[in-house]
Amino acid sequence: MKTSMKYLGLFVIAVLSVVVSFGVVSAQTDVTICFGFQDLETEFWVAGHRAITETLRGQGIEVLEYNANEDPNRQLEQIRECIAQGVDGIIIIPQDGDSANTIVAEAQENDVPIAVFNRPPNDRSAGVIVVADNVSATEQAVEFIAQKALRQFEITGEAVTPLILVGALQDTNAIGRRDGFFNVITRYNERYPGLFNEPIEVATEWDAATALANLEAAITANPNVDFIFTSSDFLFPTIRSVLEPRGMWVPMGQPGHVLLAGLDGDATACQLIDQGYVDATGVQNLFLEAELTMNRLLQAIEAGETAPNEVLLDPGFALTAGNIFFQRSDMWGCVLYDDGFLDQ
Amino acid sequence: MAIVQDKLSPDSAFALTNKAKRSDRFSGGIGMLRRLLVSDYFVLYLTLLFFLVASIFYPTLSNPASITNQIQNFWPLLAVAIGQTFVLIIGGIDLSVIAVMGITSVAGALVMAENLDPAFFDKSPVWGSLMTEAGGVLAGNPLAVPAAVLTMLLIGTFIGWLNGVAITRFNLAPFMVTLVTSTFFAALALWLTQSRNISGIPEAYVTLGKGDIVSIYLGAKLTPDIARRDILPFITYPFMIAAGLAVVAQFLLSRTVFGRRMFSIGTNRKAAEVSGVPTQSVIIRVYMFCGFCAAMASVLYSGRLEIGQPSFPNNLLLDIIGAAVIGGTSLFGGKGSIRGTFFGVAFFVLLLNILNAMRLSPFIIDAVKGAFILVAALLDIIRTRVANQEQRV
Repeated sequence: MKTSMKYLGLFVIAVLSVVVSFGVVSAQTDVTICFGFQDLETEFWVAGHRAITETLRGQGIEVLEYNANEDPNRQLEQIRECIAQGVDGIIIIPQDGDSANTIVAEAQENDVPIAVFNRPPNDRSAGVIVVADNVSATEQAVEFIAQKALRQFEITGEAVTPLILVGALQDTNAIGRRDGFFNVITRYNERYPGLFNEPIEVATEWDAATALANLEAAITANPNVDFIFTSSDFLFPTIRSVLEPRGMWVPMGQPGHVLLAGLDGDATACQLIDQGYVDATGVQNLFLEAELTMNRLLQAIEAGETAPNEVLLDPGFALTAGNIFFQRSDMWGCVLYDDGFLDQ
Repeated sequence: MAIVQDKLSPDSAFALTNKAKRSDRFSGGIGMLRRLLVSDYFVLYLTLLFFLVASIFYPTLSNPASITNQIQNFWPLLAVAIGQTFVLIIGGIDLSVIAVMGITSVAGALVMAENLDPAFFDKSPVWGSLMTEAGGVLAGNPLAVPAAVLTMLLIGTFIGWLNGVAITRFNLAPFMVTLVTSTFFAALALWLTQSRNISGIPEAYVTLGKGDIVSIYLGAKLTPDIARRDILPFITYPFMIAAGLAVVAQFLLSRTVFGRRMFSIGTNRKAAEVSGVPTQSVIIRVYMFCGFCAAMASVLYSGRLEIGQPSFPNNLLLDIIGAAVIGGTSLFGGKGSIRGTFFGVAFFVLLLNILNAMRLSPFIIDAVKGAFILVAALLDIIRTRVANQEQRV
């Protein structure tokens, strides 16, 4: 027993020492920015995280990173901890638009300037909010598909059945993308009656497993779907796993091709446009957004502004099979893809 | 010594020998470690040691603002961990606490929320009845907040009752029953809100989640231009609520027949039944209390976030059970205390803060948390053995 007690004591001390000494941060600069993100569950957020941290550290700024693991309560605790540590500014990628309001208010009440990256609070009047114009980017991508559908309709006279994979609707990005999709469908149906059938909506909750189950059910019930729009490119592999066994995963130019479009502009979308399976994707200009976030926050810190309030819009653009040759380098996903991101 | 022993009766001599043995066991470093290990304050000492060591590497952890922040993070977790401690003491487990927090958070918001956006909620099955553009059923009413809190507590207690009845009357495994209720009520909360958070929570409710009663300033002098971040919460509503709950729970456990019955059921349910303990009634009440505590935690969590939140992350369950186990509550039942859970929650909150300060990935954080719970469970076995040895000696 004595021996086991000794080992136990040594073990406890060793665990404590290892835990606290692992990863000690030593860098010290004049400006410290707290970067709290909800998680890095998709390529888009990984790339966004990389763009922000590299941009900040490139300027010699100390970055304190906090991952909330998709828990808004945890994120609130982490931001409070950042405030307690006396950071100069805060950048967050919130879990949802509602909790973002509370977190922005918490920072501003404590006189710390805060910027919200890409996932805006429902109330956009507080904080520096950098956001892609989801409606515009989606409209650009869906417009490209609508033109293709129109040509098909003029030849065959058969209405096109569209399907949209909807994101979690507590996220304003998901709402904007759904709105952009329906704007185009409605507009084209008004101009060309009978072009599109009633769109099928499939809930994903931004979760691949949920998307898979719901898409399987929707395609089984409606095997004549001609056009699928995914509210985020990270679901293309899910779409493929549903379409391929049914013989519907066919590249453009061949009979049976299902028109495919998405939004985000990730590496997988770039690869699939290259291969001819995906027709278009709405691209968020991630590099521009990271730069806008950092510049506005640093400007506020320098000017002593504790509660800067401004919405900075990234208009986005559509990368299509038609323009990929010219605009490839503007899409963050193609940059990652060309760097071998998908081979890692 | 030999002369004295000659004059003693055999029993006295035996006792003296044991005393000498015990004194020998408790002398020196090993003895001190043994005393420390069997102490009721072992986790507290460990927490303090951990804090001191961590503060050397991360000095910001020991600044007053950081300490008060950690204390504020402590209360909601304590509230829900108290209920889980009760359930663990009777040899059960409640996996539904996260779902209870979600559904009660939604139910409270359906009562008191103001101004709901139809664009978000018009597909909800309760739109037009429990939810309208004006808000919840009592939107704007001065009694909305008390009614909402009461509704939350009643629903939490009711779900606990369902769990208890299913476990006792149908003799089902607690793990299975609470997993089923968890799945059902988590889905119900998402269905009612269509996965959306409900905002527009009244200020009085927010105060319950993060309001200060007494704030302090630790500066050199009081000036009109004190920054808000330098005014630290000291006595807060979450503190009053969670500490009040802890006092009631401690009283129930240590000063009532009900508490003794809980321990007897956890130690040996059959023996308790044979001894005349109304086991079914006690088990049902314990699960009801656990549901009540989860609803109370929901008030604190949703109040500070200012939303009715249909889903709480599942890994919070690891924190709740982990805090209770680290505090010395046995997963096999029959052992545990509110004091231990209090220390366990303190240790867990500190651990999380340190792991965050180390900027570890969430995967590593969860792995470390899991490792600590395992170490705590092993320590508990060793502590029990040591305590039993001391008793035999």
